[in-house]
Amino acid sequence: MSALADKLRGLRRQAGVVPPAPAAVAMPAKPRPALPDNIAQLLGIRQRVQGASAKPRRTASVEPSSLPGQTIAPGLQLCETSSAWPPEPPAFHAAFARVDQMIAAERLVLFDTETTGLAGGTGTRAFMIGVGDWHEGRFRERQLLITTLAGEAAMLDCFASWLRPDAVLVSYNGKSYDSPLLKTRFRLHQRSCPLEGLAHIDLLHPVRRRWRGAWENCRLATAERQLLQVVRDDDLPGSEAPAAWLSYLRGGSAQALHRVARHNSQDLRSLGGILHRFATCDEANTQI
Amino acid sequence: MNALPNPMAQRAVRGDGALAAPVSGGDQLARRLAKRYGDRVTGSFVLPGREGQFAPLPGDMPPALADALRARGIHQLYAHQAQAWNATAAGQHVVIATPTASGKSLCYTLPVISAAIRQRAKALFLFPTKALAQDQVAELLELNQAGDLGVKAFTFDGDTPGDARQAIRLHGDIVVSNPDMLHQAILPHHTKWAQFFENLRYIVIDEVHTYRGVFGSHVANVLRRLQRVCAFYGVTPQFILCSATIGNPAEHASALIEQPVTAITESGAPVGEKHVLLWNPPVVNADLGLRASARSQSNRIARTAIRSGLKTLVFAQSRLMVEVLTKYLKDVFDSDPRKAPRIRAYRGGYLPTERRAAEREMRAGQVDGIVSTSALELGVDIGALDVVVLNGYPGSVAATWQRFGRAGRRQQASLGVLVASSDPLDQYLVRHPEFFQEATPEHARIAADQPLILLDHIRCAAFELPFRDGELFGPQDATPWLQVLAEEGVLHQEGERFEWIADSYPANAVSLRSVADGNFVVVDRTDGRQTIVAEVDFSAASLTLYEGAIHMIQSVPYQVERLDWNGRKAFVTRTNVDYYTDAIDYTKLKVLEAFDGSPAGNGSAHHGEVHVARRVAGYKKIRYYTHENIGYGPVNLPDLELHTTAVWWQLPQRALEQAFDHRQDALDGFLAAAHALHIVATVAVMAEARDLQKAVGSGDGAWFATPDANGRAQLRSGFGEGEPSMSGPFVPTLFLYDAFPGGVGLSAPLYERREDLVRLARELVRRCDCRGGCPACVGPVLAADEQNARSLKSLATRVLDLIIAL
Repeated sequence: MSALADKLRGLRRQAGVVPPAPAAVAMPAKPRPALPDNIAQLLGIRQRVQGASAKPRRTASVEPSSLPGQTIAPGLQLCETSSAWPPEPPAFHAAFARVDQMIAAERLVLFDTETTGLAGGTGTRAFMIGVGDWHEGRFRERQLLITTLAGEAAMLDCFASWLRPDAVLVSYNGKSYDSPLLKTRFRLHQRSCPLEGLAHIDLLHPVRRRWRGAWENCRLATAERQLLQVVRDDDLPGSEAPAAWLSYLRGGSAQALHRVARHNSQDLRSLGGILHRFATCDEANTQI
Repeated sequence: MNALPNPMAQRAVRGDGALAAPVSGGDQLARRLAKRYGDRVTGSFVLPGREGQFAPLPGDMPPALADALRARGIHQLYAHQAQAWNATAAGQHVVIATPTASGKSLCYTLPVISAAIRQRAKALFLFPTKALAQDQVAELLELNQAGDLGVKAFTFDGDTPGDARQAIRLHGDIVVSNPDMLHQAILPHHTKWAQFFENLRYIVIDEVHTYRGVFGSHVANVLRRLQRVCAFYGVTPQFILCSATIGNPAEHASALIEQPVTAITESGAPVGEKHVLLWNPPVVNADLGLRASARSQSNRIARTAIRSGLKTLVFAQSRLMVEVLTKYLKDVFDSDPRKAPRIRAYRGGYLPTERRAAEREMRAGQVDGIVSTSALELGVDIGALDVVVLNGYPGSVAATWQRFGRAGRRQQASLGVLVASSDPLDQYLVRHPEFFQEATPEHARIAADQPLILLDHIRCAAFELPFRDGELFGPQDATPWLQVLAEEGVLHQEGERFEWIADSYPANAVSLRSVADGNFVVVDRTDGRQTIVAEVDFSAASLTLYEGAIHMIQSVPYQVERLDWNGRKAFVTRTNVDYYTDAIDYTKLKVLEAFDGSPAGNGSAHHGEVHVARRVAGYKKIRYYTHENIGYGPVNLPDLELHTTAVWWQLPQRALEQAFDHRQDALDGFLAAAHALHIVATVAVMAEARDLQKAVGSGDGAWFATPDANGRAQLRSGFGEGEPSMSGPFVPTLFLYDAFPGGVGLSAPLYERREDLVRLARELVRRCDCRGGCPACVGPVLAADEQNARSLKSLATRVLDLIIAL
């Protein structure tokens, strides 16, 4: 713990703040720069002999093989799988989502992000972007996972490359959550946002319009159980995803990241299933 | 004269007699008042009038804008407006510090609108209050309409509905907001404002004199963050700042934005001569030294002025006082319900529509008397007035002049009257008219590098954009702070970058009005209410919010019923008592390091870092006016610890032994001198009295001195009972210390002015009307001690004489 940190903690206590416990963070073994004179004076830090207090970094020598997927760029993993379920919907008219278009399945891009939290603003990032589409008759999932903060730019570029100009986005609450968050990330990396101008089917809204009041809530977990009879097994609650990633980032185990990936994958498949229900039932113009 | 409803009012009016005959201007009224009430007028002076200096509308102004100005009746500019135009055109950052009502807003409106017309450039306006922001937008819209300019101006504040925000971000040419919104809503979401930032050309900050002390230090850091975000979008906007008259406009503006600033301080607006009277209410009880209330005097002066046909504005310190004075004046002038009211109250807490209506009536000249809180001190347009009465000193020379500046017409003389209250500071000022006449307005000070404030804003800045290793924040290398935040776990360092990683929104936890977020809220429970009426800094809580304390909020007394220390809440109810409470605090200071020192008379003065330990042991109930001690109460609160900065004076044992027969006398003298120095120092640095504290002790923390029930010094070595053991040399030390953890930069300017302060304190004691001492100079004394040769006054003078640099 540096002299500055000690001093600041003391001053904050004197100002009535209960200081946060320091996180168990592996600090780089790096000489601390001397404090500028005026700050040293402000803080009253006199020249003390600093012991060699720098802790050695717990090197995050996790084998890449223990991470989900393949490394496709420094700090970026891609995890690709495909499955028979959910089935590919026929071309459908998306009036149920208030999009006045006939949409063919090959244009559909389902997406769902895992983020570092819900605080919002420029300080929240996606560490995983899961994308689902129907490819060669099967449901394909491609999950991008960053393992370093520096991997984010490559993740955004890769995601952008998957979006054709006539792509139709499909999400659950993505219009107000995932999409603005990704826009912010593209902006912070000084890239134009590929989501701009694309049609977007946010299934939360049609689900709400039909079942609000009938179900206890309209969360994805409720919708998938009611409509698709999906029951999750050993699911990592979404709220624990940030901690899992953060702990890996700080040199911890990659184990929980596999659970995050499974959770994200189930979200994508449920999204596909719900979309299929809407696409096929609306076509026949009957109640689901 | 019709029968007035209130017999008291009737009698008062009869008493005015010929005093209220019509006059042609403030000069005549000033002479008449001075003649009739010579014993109450302690000072009177005249500021000469000034011809206007004009300049033609600049030729390089867009023709549409020039047409709009002409349509609004503006055919030429004042010299300072033209100067501001030229300086901004030359790409300089500018601060305009000219008196109230000199047309400052045109100085920034013109370049901003030109740039909007010519390049669709955007501008951000920051005002300290929502009301001012709304006024500004109304004015912009009028100008826009007059010239059909197509410039879109919007306010963006806490009241802006969610669905309007998106449109404002995309389409606003001029966005008018405040520092808190910038801090909490705009900067942490800057990507949503990307288009706005990419085209941002001007940042206008009005009323920068209000950004001083803790608030100013925060605002300077918010501006660091703003400039950092601007750099991200590749823009370097130009700043245009405005200030009321302060002693250091260029220095202050430049401290806020950390760039060189051109100051424009000569107003070209014409003004008539201005008369100023300092007024002390008459003594009504000579034995007790009791004076009539300021309220009665303000009422009398305002009544006389209005009846003489002069438009009059009275400034009161509290909302309650506004209502009381309004009632008194209405009893006299608005007794006929069939006629339009001649008297208006104006204060915060009214609905915007009510305020707009009041402003319109005032501008139209339909109102003869206005009673207002400080709400009218800032640039709200209310038209021309003749007389301003201040019911009590507003706390600074700068604010006094700003309020006086509300009166003034081009052709006619105006009058400003300062009516002193019984507050020691008021009494000091009203007895020292030369202080007013000669004093340059105070300097606004900020301490942008206050460690806790800096840490808070580096935290917020890291949320907004990642930091590179070695990146500067203001003039500081941010790296050590970033490492602290990384240790805390909110940042993650990867290679050369520190990135935000926590799931929190740091701006929500940082209030721009306090050093850290350990504040107490004061909850009013009167009549089943449950409303927050004030916030008190953690460090001041134990001195002002103990159970039983009388806590003044805007001059209204509340009694603290319960203090929830851990919950940081104090529950109070309105009360009506004839006493105030004063904490008995034991404060022990220890010098940790002297940054600087110099000889001071026979002793020495120093500036440096101190450790303060304070315990509030109880409190005294003190009756107003007589300052009798009428009771005690116990206080049981945790001790407070503080690392902060201080200025201190010391005298060596030898010098003391020569000057004083007894140690007791020396200590009494030190405590009394501390009281006087504290009063003058508070004025000198524009501080709140509670932000600057005083103490007397040994310097090494071995003992400290507190006044006992008789106002005499009592030595203590610890917070418990018992006599201190006095070993080592006897070196009493007088401290003035900054009451915030880490300090907020009050002590450095005090050290710079140390010689002035001692001189002013000595003058204060010497010229005070009391015999042996009073709260306005050396602190309360017992009547029995007044005749004493060893009066606190003489002892204080002896100490001050010893530390004065000759």
